[in-house]
Amino acid sequence: MAKNIERKVGLFIVITTALIVASVVYIAYKKDVFTPTHTYTLASKSGDNLTEGMPVVFSGFKIGKVEKLELNDNGLVMIQISVPRRHVKWLRTDTRFVLEKPIIGTPRIVVMTANFVHPLLDEQTVREMTVTSDINEIVKMIQPVLDRVNSIVTSADKLTAALASPQGDLSRTLANAQVLTSKLSQKDSLLEMAVADRESVKSVHQALTQVKDITGQVDAILKKVDAMAVKTDASLYGQDGALVSVSKILKDLLAKLRKLETTVDNVNRLSTDATGATGDLKGLRLDIEATIRSINDLAGDIDRLIPLKKEPEIRLP
Amino acid sequence: MAQILKTLGNPFVKNVLSAQETLAFAGVVISKVFSRRSYNSATKMVLVNQIYFTAVEILPLFITVSIIFGSLLIGIVFAVIKDLGLAEYLGSILMGFVVTELAPFITVLLIALRSSSAIDAEIAVMKVNQELNTLSLFNIDVLDYLFVPRIVNGMVSVVLLSCLFSILVLGSGMLFSFFIFGMGLDTYGNTLLNSTKFSDIVIMLLKCMTFGFFITLIPIRFGLRASHELTSIPVAVLNGMVKVFIAIVIIEVLSLILRFI
Amino acid sequence: MQKAIALHKARLGMVSAQAPLISNLDAWLNVALIRQYHENLPRDRARREVLASLDRFGMGAIADRRISSLEDQERFCIMLLRAAMVKRAVLVIDRPFQIMPDLQDARYVGRSLKWIDDLYEECHIFDYVWMKDHYGALHGEEH
Repeated sequence: MAKNIERKVGLFIVITTALIVASVVYIAYKKDVFTPTHTYTLASKSGDNLTEGMPVVFSGFKIGKVEKLELNDNGLVMIQISVPRRHVKWLRTDTRFVLEKPIIGTPRIVVMTANFVHPLLDEQTVREMTVTSDINEIVKMIQPVLDRVNSIVTSADKLTAALASPQGDLSRTLANAQVLTSKLSQKDSLLEMAVADRESVKSVHQALTQVKDITGQVDAILKKVDAMAVKTDASLYGQDGALVSVSKILKDLLAKLRKLETTVDNVNRLSTDATGATGDLKGLRLDIEATIRSINDLAGDIDRLIPLKKEPEIRLP
Repeated sequence: MAQILKTLGNPFVKNVLSAQETLAFAGVVISKVFSRRSYNSATKMVLVNQIYFTAVEILPLFITVSIIFGSLLIGIVFAVIKDLGLAEYLGSILMGFVVTELAPFITVLLIALRSSSAIDAEIAVMKVNQELNTLSLFNIDVLDYLFVPRIVNGMVSVVLLSCLFSILVLGSGMLFSFFIFGMGLDTYGNTLLNSTKFSDIVIMLLKCMTFGFFITLIPIRFGLRASHELTSIPVAVLNGMVKVFIAIVIIEVLSLILRFI
Repeated sequence: MQKAIALHKARLGMVSAQAPLISNLDAWLNVALIRQYHENLPRDRARREVLASLDRFGMGAIADRRISSLEDQERFCIMLLRAAMVKRAVLVIDRPFQIMPDLQDARYVGRSLKWIDDLYEECHIFDYVWMKDHYGALHGEEH
């Protein structure tokens, strides 16, 4: 019985101790305790948020740690980081070292290497470490922007008043666009227009010329708007804002022209014997394509001027 | 007023004196623990028996509790931190909470409930039966023969079982994370490794040893306080176990302070 | 008796109801304890020696029994053997009839001492004066 107890106790102690020793050795091995390390020196203007033992991270993986911090004669903080030999390959001459300070969690030094073609970083070289913005710095940066927003709002008031005027450029453009779209919709049949009635083809050409004029006018208005640097007023850029209305009209126009383009393509396929009309149809097809392109560009310009169409988003580090 | 002060002061002075006596006794025992002369064939036998009854006999229950508790705990922790978007802190939570706090705490509770009460009762019975008198008549130092093996057993058992608990919890957690949450074994391992600090492990081991020391020393002291009446045995066990609980809380608090300063 | 105890403190082998056997040890361990503790005798050797001395009383079978299951005479023998394990032991037997109340006289005590006379140097038996008739031939000086 006593012998049995001794055997069991011995077995328990041996197995448990072996497990503990194996775990500790494994951790030590994985933490590169037995691996030779290389030491690099970084310089920073401030020692804020720097602590000995803080991690050095590459692509989210810890590849080293801060060994030592000291202040040199020039008032710069010299940061010694140790990197195990197997991670040295991530450090190149073009590598940037950035101190990242997340809102939650401990700060860390992030290693950023863009190109691995460059030679390995020399241990003697002292590299500068930059600091990414934390939330307080973001607030500091936003402050002047907020000041500018105030002045923009004032300018926007003036601009909306100008756009709302019945004599204004925008009102006239919208009237023209209305005329054109109603003309296009009055055509009975595009097939008839293209194959049987050569005059109809001409009238489409005219309509397209008019579209070009309209886009030109809208473009001019947009340039004016752009010059006034109005970027935030909701009455101008909001859901029912003036520019948004213009954008809608242009998109409507675009849709109609695309429909026309498809129809012309269909006519091209069907009217193999209508040789006389084919030449004109090809020209018409090219004209439509060019017009669509120019309206697309214009719509892009308007979208560019509506920065508030998306919800503002602040990315936290 | 004077009566009130006396009523308040009396138990305070009593407790302070008791704590002082316990610490003085601890000093004597520590010197004995590190003295080679304390160890002989008899004390080694007692030590082996004590380890058997404290750590080996309890193993099936302990392993079962560790695996079930560990899997559930890691499952819950995993689900919660995933919901909060803090999955990258899994390692810190497991190492900082399970290994350094929970493992010693569960182990010490289990051992205190089982062995501390047994030691307290055993010493009290020996006192009542005059068996301590026998030892003294045969020139056997009760410190060497009775106390040192029990205290060494306490330290060894709590350290080994705590480590075993940690290994089992992390192991079962690994399987749980792999099969339930589809987390890769490498990812799990790296998450843990990144959060492992040797200083934490050293503090955890020191804490376990301190736990083991006091959860055996205190019952011995209170067992010795039994008189020659049988009715003094339950009183000795009751007082001893309350003091053991207080000691566990104090050590836990001190270790937390030590970790965060 | 107190004088004898004080005089032979280092070699004292006490047999007394006031020095009971250790209840959480088996019979043989109670005997072995003395040499294991003082002479660091290995467990196996200690067991062999205890079994050999128990055989002198024809009590080898009780070696692994718990104390609570022993008869009075068996308990006395274990106590006597334990006392004899002290190096150059001076046995002090305190009121043997308190340990073995069913005993009619001290012949059993005398026989037991004879079986182990090579294991001790001196032996003193103490009892009340009114018990002296129980001792017969063992009767010595009165204190």
